[in-house]
Amino acid sequence: MKQKKNLFLIIMLLTLGAILTACSSGDGKEAEKPAVGGSDAAAGDWKPTKPIEFIAPSGAGGGWDTTARASSKVLEEEKIVEQRFAVVNKPGGGGAIGWSYIDSKDTDDHLLFATSPPIMFVPLNNQSDLGHQDFTPIAALTADYGAFLVKADSPFDTMNDLVEAMKKDPTSISVVGTSSPGSMDHMQFVKAVHAAGVDAKSVKYVSSQDSAGMTMLLGGQVEVYSTDVGEAVEQYRAGNVKVLAVTAEERIEGDVVSEFPTLKEQDIDDSFVIWRGIMGPKNMSKEAAAFYENALKEMSETEAWKAELERYGWDGNWMGSEEFKSFLDKDYESIKSLMEEMGLR
Amino acid sequence: MSTIDSILYGFEVALTWQNIMFVFIGVLAGTVIGMLPGLGPISAIAVMIPLSYGMPASSALILMAGVYYGAIFGGSTSSVLLNAPGIASTVATTFDGYPLARQGKAGKALATAAVASFIGGTFATIGLMLVAPQLSKVALSFGPSEYFALMLLGLTAIASLSEGSTVKAFISATVGIMVATIGIDSQTGTQRFTFGATKLLDGIDFLVIALGLFALAEVTTLIISRKESLFQKGSNIGSLKITKEEVKEMAAPVGRQSVMGFFIGVLPGAGATIASFLAYITEKKLSKNPDSFGKGNIVGVAAPESANNAAAGGSFVPLLTLGIPGSGTTAIMLGALLVVGVQPGPMLLTDHPDVFWGVIASMYIGNIMLLVLNLPLIPYLARILYIPKGMLISLILIFCLVGVYGVNFSQFDLYVLIIFGVIGYLMRILSFPAAPFILAFILGGMMEQSFRQALTISNGNLSIFVERPVSLALLLVALASLFVPLILGKLTKRKNGANAA
Repeated sequence: MKQKKNLFLIIMLLTLGAILTACSSGDGKEAEKPAVGGSDAAAGDWKPTKPIEFIAPSGAGGGWDTTARASSKVLEEEKIVEQRFAVVNKPGGGGAIGWSYIDSKDTDDHLLFATSPPIMFVPLNNQSDLGHQDFTPIAALTADYGAFLVKADSPFDTMNDLVEAMKKDPTSISVVGTSSPGSMDHMQFVKAVHAAGVDAKSVKYVSSQDSAGMTMLLGGQVEVYSTDVGEAVEQYRAGNVKVLAVTAEERIEGDVVSEFPTLKEQDIDDSFVIWRGIMGPKNMSKEAAAFYENALKEMSETEAWKAELERYGWDGNWMGSEEFKSFLDKDYESIKSLMEEMGLR
Repeated sequence: MSTIDSILYGFEVALTWQNIMFVFIGVLAGTVIGMLPGLGPISAIAVMIPLSYGMPASSALILMAGVYYGAIFGGSTSSVLLNAPGIASTVATTFDGYPLARQGKAGKALATAAVASFIGGTFATIGLMLVAPQLSKVALSFGPSEYFALMLLGLTAIASLSEGSTVKAFISATVGIMVATIGIDSQTGTQRFTFGATKLLDGIDFLVIALGLFALAEVTTLIISRKESLFQKGSNIGSLKITKEEVKEMAAPVGRQSVMGFFIGVLPGAGATIASFLAYITEKKLSKNPDSFGKGNIVGVAAPESANNAAAGGSFVPLLTLGIPGSGTTAIMLGALLVVGVQPGPMLLTDHPDVFWGVIASMYIGNIMLLVLNLPLIPYLARILYIPKGMLISLILIFCLVGVYGVNFSQFDLYVLIIFGVIGYLMRILSFPAAPFILAFILGGMMEQSFRQALTISNGNLSIFVERPVSLALLLVALASLFVPLILGKLTKRKNGANAA
């Protein structure tokens, strides 16, 4: 189950007052790299010679932070990498401050960071000069999904009910999210209703960065809350909310989460993965990137990592460097063109 | 389970020796962290998350809650002694606490703060026990329009925080609101006043401004004035004695502000800092002797201290009953609960009653521990003021620099601190009051965001502010607090004029 990951995200948002959380990856030099997809020992002889600095571009407790801490813990304890990992928090600017630090050491082979989709959203909103293209994607590790909630007594029972209402009178529906317009909470919703034929520009979005998203939904101030599956589960169990849709391709496996309908099964052709993964500096050596990719691959197959997934309620979502990069490029383009259509760029 | 059974069950959980130990460690760590300017409960709790691996969920939350209210309890110490607020929610305590210390009444101010904190904290605990589930509705009833009205009500107090010129107070407040808009605007995602600097994207941290405007400005004044002695020295500096009259004077404010602070704490997003400011300005307005505020009125210490501790307790209402964190600190705790395997949310009370009731009961114990721990220490803490001036000034400087650096580990914050120190000093020379600046900074940002959220929801229709009863009532009170003193003043003048004639 993926429930908890997102809570972490939200927590991070709150604490920082920052905009986004999550992860991502990107890469500049991929094209020159040999394909390292496999887990064999193709990495060659390179090995870290000193402790590795592992940046969480956020405060402690958020999704990036827990990803960095959980993966470095397993890498160390399972003796996959013999050097120590030092997790360092560099909070601020929704990640921008941490990214500029990593960019300043762009040839460092002993530097990694945890990331997620905001590394696309933040630069697309001109809140950072650096984006996924400015880093070396090493691997994606986990996945989570967006969820669209309405109050339990809402007249809307399906995503299509909501879409119909929005087509009829877009001013009647307010959507709340915990990050600014153009960021993940906003765009995942716009992307979904846009796929269903709603004019993307007409969506009325309220940003509530002081964690009041759920409060505003339950208090009846807004009609829809765009968040992630993790935040939905407990309120759903308590009977406070209805989950109109989640952005996964297929029903998510798990106790409660399997009850949430996907967009696709409601004939809305859209999905959105909140992936989380690891990247390094742009000009990291190919050998080092391959070494870390292999190490993470090995880690993702251990029982200890599975226990961490369980602990935080994450889903495994392995992508090697090449696959990760092309996934990012594709996702980036589709979000960018939608934002251009909406006049957000 | 009936309420009584539940409460007894809570004490059963809280009174195991392990949990008593965790409460003790939590409140002790919290007090120390609170006393050090800059270091706040958020960073302290974040550090504890890895430590809580493998702990029972109730113990983990008991520990972290202890750090939180311990820090708010301890934060008043440096506010009073050094004019350097230990944490954001004790900024208002400096207004009268520090003048008291300079008058050689540090012991009395600290004792007042401790007792008021204890009363506020205990009241909140009892409130949590009795009405937490019902109160979650209060938390939900506040939408953007209500927040706007509440913040506006707070801002009407600007004039009352002026020391002389009302115009200067308003200028100071306006600049405060302007500074609050620095950073990414959350309603549009655009950058405001960042001048392309990445470091300014998140705006400026409240505590950096508070330490600059208060502590650094004070230090600068002390250095430049070259006065030999900072404080009126008396043999009774550490004396805790509070007179009967003072107790009488404080009883009503502490009672009121415990209740008000608790309710403000319940509102997600408002929190202990806003509660303490609202408490201070409310009591100043209600006081028969408003002019003595800011010059060492004991009520000016008691009111914010009871309110911020009550609010800290209140902020557990949305966390425990709805699974919604009402503040940065409770958000971190929510994360910590996940680490120890508890899913926070509306089902917490049903699924994990030990966490719910155990934490509440532990807060009761924690508050008693804090009082017992702090009162005997006061005479020793107050002796800090006997340190020679040169050393004391250096100490304050070091604390401020280390504390601010500790917030984000950023050198940039240190420059901002120094800039605000200079601004604070200039404001003093030109007799611009700093309090309206800080009040406008904290309320203004939230007021603006709420205003725009409300208008987005209402499609730009202003009537949303008067159609909702709570919002309307708050707006009316705000209007009254602006105009009633004016009208009363005119009436009195006319009467006096008539009498004279």
